[in-house]
Amino acid sequence: MRSNILLSRIALGLYLVIFFTYLLGPLVIMSMTAFNSNPFPTIIPWDCFSFEWFQVLANDERILRAILNSVIIGLGTVVLSVAMGLAASLILTQIWPRWRSTYYTIIIAPILIPGVVLGISTVVFWDRLSRILGPATDGLFHNGIFLTILGQSTFIASYTMLVFVARLQRYDPGLTEAALDLGATHVQAFRKILLPFMRPAIASAAVLAFLASFENYNTTTFTFGRYPTLTIELAQKVRYGINPSISALAFIIVSLTVFGALATEAWRRGRIKAEAERNGEAVAQGRSILPGFLRGNWAAGALVLFSFVVITLFWTARVYSPDQCKAEVRAAKQAEAAKRREELLRRRAQQRMQQQMKGPDIFTPSGKPAPAEGASTGKPAGGKVPFGSVFDPGNLEGQSGTGAAPDQGSNAAPAAKPSPFGSVFDPGNLANQAGAGADGESGEAPSEKADENGGEKPAPPFGSVFDPGNLKGVGGGAGEGN
Amino acid sequence: MGKTVASKAEKLSISTLLISIIPIVIIVLVLFDTLVSDGFSAASSLIVGLIILWVAVICGVLATELFSDFFRTNGRLLGSVMLGLVAFWIIVLILLPQLSMLDYSFRYNLPPSEQGGPKDVYTLANYRHLIYGAGGGEGTYNTVDLMVFLRTIIAAMAVTVADLILCYPLAYYLGQSRGSGFVRLLVVLLIIPYWINEILRAFALKIVFADGGILNAAMMKLGLIDQPIDFIRADVALYAGLGYAYILLMLFPMYNAIESLDRNQIEAARDMGASWIRIHRRIVIPHAKPGITSGMTMVFMLSAGALAAPQILGGPSSLWFTQLVYQWFNGSLNWQQGAAYAIVLLVASITIVLTFMKIFKVNMGDIGK
Amino acid sequence: MAGGVGVDLENLWIRFGDFVAVRDANVNINGGDFFSFLGPSGCGKTTILRAISGFLQPSEGRVLIGGNDMAGIGPNKRPTALIFQNLALFPLMKIWENITFSMEVKGASSAERRKRADELLEMIALEGQGDKLPSELSGGQKQRVAIARALCAEPDVLLLDEPLSALDLKLRQHMRTELREIQQRVGITFIYITHDQGEALTMSDNVAVMRAGVIEQIGTGHDVYDLPATPFVASFVGENNVFRGRILEVNGTEALIRTNRSGDLLAQITPAARGVLKPGDEAMMFIRPEALSLVDDAGAHEKTSLTAKVVNEEFEGNSYSVFLEGDGGKRIKMSLPNVGQDRIASKGEDLTLKYELRNAVVMPAGELAAE
Repeated sequence: MRSNILLSRIALGLYLVIFFTYLLGPLVIMSMTAFNSNPFPTIIPWDCFSFEWFQVLANDERILRAILNSVIIGLGTVVLSVAMGLAASLILTQIWPRWRSTYYTIIIAPILIPGVVLGISTVVFWDRLSRILGPATDGLFHNGIFLTILGQSTFIASYTMLVFVARLQRYDPGLTEAALDLGATHVQAFRKILLPFMRPAIASAAVLAFLASFENYNTTTFTFGRYPTLTIELAQKVRYGINPSISALAFIIVSLTVFGALATEAWRRGRIKAEAERNGEAVAQGRSILPGFLRGNWAAGALVLFSFVVITLFWTARVYSPDQCKAEVRAAKQAEAAKRREELLRRRAQQRMQQQMKGPDIFTPSGKPAPAEGASTGKPAGGKVPFGSVFDPGNLEGQSGTGAAPDQGSNAAPAAKPSPFGSVFDPGNLANQAGAGADGESGEAPSEKADENGGEKPAPPFGSVFDPGNLKGVGGGAGEGN
Repeated sequence: MGKTVASKAEKLSISTLLISIIPIVIIVLVLFDTLVSDGFSAASSLIVGLIILWVAVICGVLATELFSDFFRTNGRLLGSVMLGLVAFWIIVLILLPQLSMLDYSFRYNLPPSEQGGPKDVYTLANYRHLIYGAGGGEGTYNTVDLMVFLRTIIAAMAVTVADLILCYPLAYYLGQSRGSGFVRLLVVLLIIPYWINEILRAFALKIVFADGGILNAAMMKLGLIDQPIDFIRADVALYAGLGYAYILLMLFPMYNAIESLDRNQIEAARDMGASWIRIHRRIVIPHAKPGITSGMTMVFMLSAGALAAPQILGGPSSLWFTQLVYQWFNGSLNWQQGAAYAIVLLVASITIVLTFMKIFKVNMGDIGK
Repeated sequence: MAGGVGVDLENLWIRFGDFVAVRDANVNINGGDFFSFLGPSGCGKTTILRAISGFLQPSEGRVLIGGNDMAGIGPNKRPTALIFQNLALFPLMKIWENITFSMEVKGASSAERRKRADELLEMIALEGQGDKLPSELSGGQKQRVAIARALCAEPDVLLLDEPLSALDLKLRQHMRTELREIQQRVGITFIYITHDQGEALTMSDNVAVMRAGVIEQIGTGHDVYDLPATPFVASFVGENNVFRGRILEVNGTEALIRTNRSGDLLAQITPAARGVLKPGDEAMMFIRPEALSLVDDAGAHEKTSLTAKVVNEEFEGNSYSVFLEGDGGKRIKMSLPNVGQDRIASKGEDLTLKYELRNAVVMPAGELAAE
């Protein structure tokens, strides 16, 4: 019996650990990658502790503009969906009983309608309407901000409505009647009685609506027009090439969320405690060096701790310089690369000899898209190269074999800004570089395993700096050579 | 406004009758007009205007009569604002866009110059395309798109079930051990990922599952594998990502439902010698049914309609149905075809949800509680 | 405010769909009266109150306040103030803000409001409590705040919807006296809704007794208690013993009834049934428990005495209740003051009881109040 309980406790603990690892692990790892100087977001080959990705992020104007768009759209959505949700919930409490379930079904339905459908229907409808009403409405009805606010509010209002309904269940309509009876107008009764009562619900509904708007992708991706939101920009970046500046942004968002959650919880616990004290419940008044609001409030403690960690981190950012570490890493990489280049040159010479016997040279450094043969042979190689497929937009779209080499280069380009460290951060060779980093750093010298796959590894880091079009050719050559 | 409906009904019918005379006159006029002028003219557009006016009048009369009690309890100004907002939401944001998308899905993709012209007729071609493909011919089926559709639906179901199994123990544990700081801590830990951007969550999983990602790097370093496993191509990343994206929408409704279950019921059952399995089957699950259904509905609908996770985590050879919709819309700029696919997705997923709700005898009203 | 403002209901009907909540009510309430509507729950008394305060439109008929037709005038424009059953104090406002809410909506300054609040708080004996929240007050204090809030609006008519029902017995009795005192001090018309006949009788100048949407009787507390117009009023207001039977003969305001079980008894005919009741009619006769007493000289009260078997006896401190076998399985209850007796009677004993003719009232048979 006893061992049974122990066993079930262990099982429970294990289950909790697995569940929360699944839930939080990826977020923790993602946050950590923001501080690794490795240009691929990872933590396993940990290059250097660095803040450079925050720098990259701060200089990314597209992201900054997208944040502004997101805030504007978020505020518009908050206003519209809070107003509609509140009105809808008030009507729900007054509607005829036999109509109630129909009405409820209609206003809850947007939650269940796929966001894709909402986005499409919004765009289609307003496009049609502007055609009916004439060109005067054209500008507004095709405006990304306008459409996104409407599209998002369609379902976010359902969320806010649910928040309001929960709060309204505890409202005594007699209060409004009492106010009217005392001479208040309907508007006064609403403003002075109902609204103050609903204030906490309005606040949480507004936060909910803003966050839901801020993170919405499915609907916005059809409606944003010329005003991409942060989520849209992020999705573009993530789809066409990942780099740690996204991690840096993620770290900021995660931090803000953690901060918000802890602050809310601390506030909640503080209130519960105050309530308990007011009700005369005995609160342990032990001697403590902690200030009052921290006592018996783990959330407040965690909040202080967390703030401390974040502040320390950013204080470190001001004084700490990863230059030396990076220089070392770079030196190691260069040594590594040089070795590889030698090897490659050797192989290339071999190949050239073979090819000269076969026929025309496909490695003309013309800068044009790689010849068909190169591209097609590059494909299977790309599948095995660690990052080839990841960065290929064609793969993401599911259109295999259509990603031409120059495309790849230009898509990867905006993902990262040039940095003072030259080739390491050169956007053009990001994919390559990352690949080199990923295995090159795992040991001082390339391991036996890496050597075995050597032929499939991407081209040397410097080869691609000069010409993105070259890149595919070299990769293809390497693949073919194998 | 509850109970006075019946007494209003008599008055209503009289005034409706009076107003109904106007449209009859208008319809007669329209018929006369089309017979004489053979097509639309200035007069007919005047008549269209009159019809709109009539609709507005009848709506106004209906509103003031049906809602007279409503206006008395809420006041004219506030009542109008409330009704206006809800009408805007339901009609302009929910119903009309859905209807116009439905309408679009039955039309050809024509250049703007031909829209409204003789070629602009209703057609089933867009739907036929899903089944028979571009040729629309006999015998050949659009196997690619149909497979994508089937795979989306089945995978969404699988994700739903997986989330259910994963969440039930935690929901039960959280719901039944109340009050302690540890449980609150767990809840806070749950809420945090809930508010992290969907894209970032997918990105986090991509970091983990990518070819050179943490998982591969770690396993290779540990010597478990000697070549990176392509989790993306194997769709492991996609399914993990979908399950990950919506898992909390499964957990929270269940947690709320189980939390409201009186602990004494479980203890009473245990006292009577019921086994754990029986307690869950006979007491906990029936009580939590609205929460479970709510969670399953949300997870299924959101997974089937997911776009971000498949775009970011999906393998090159496996498409999600929403991606087809996206391509038609943003890639091929064929809105009509995209609308048809979207309608198919909407109808299919709602049908599935309603069927399951019918089987498990759950009401719509339980959703969202 | 000498005289005060009267309220008249003329042929008032209120329907909810097919359900008739109030049927043809005609009431004249004098200015400055304390007027009660008394009836079991669901009888339509709250509906009448809501029609007076303006939350409901009558289906037919009129509500007049001070002689003015109130049709189409909303609750916020009527010279009435309502005290809600659950008081409906605004939970987020301090006491003084609650009390002076009616001034706030008219745009009074904060200083004015504080001054008025202090006056009213003094009147309700809650000086210095103005900055508390409603949740920090006791039940009785909340009650008084609700009254002060209503009075602050300076209404011509104060409407009270069972405001004491949430209080415990002691406090309820105390508040009765207090309410009556307040009413006499301010001199405005009070319209009071209750299902508690004790409240209605102690406080009211006039009482209307309602059953199922119909006003059965309007009169002073005495009228309603001593000369009930219908069997319902007789059985609803206070305790009563009912004797069923048929009229044998009618003699002016008196009638002789052949009861089913207790022989022929004499009673006075209730004013409403005079000239209506004829020999042979089915009738009901009512005698209050406290109007029955033990016969000292048998024979002197030939037609105003009855004999029955004792079933049970209960000692209640200030009085004894004796239960005797009565009509149709019901028991006859007699209460006698405790003046030092050890006991009244023993079980199974036959007792002969007498009553005064003026204490027995007869009327056509009808429905009794549910027990």
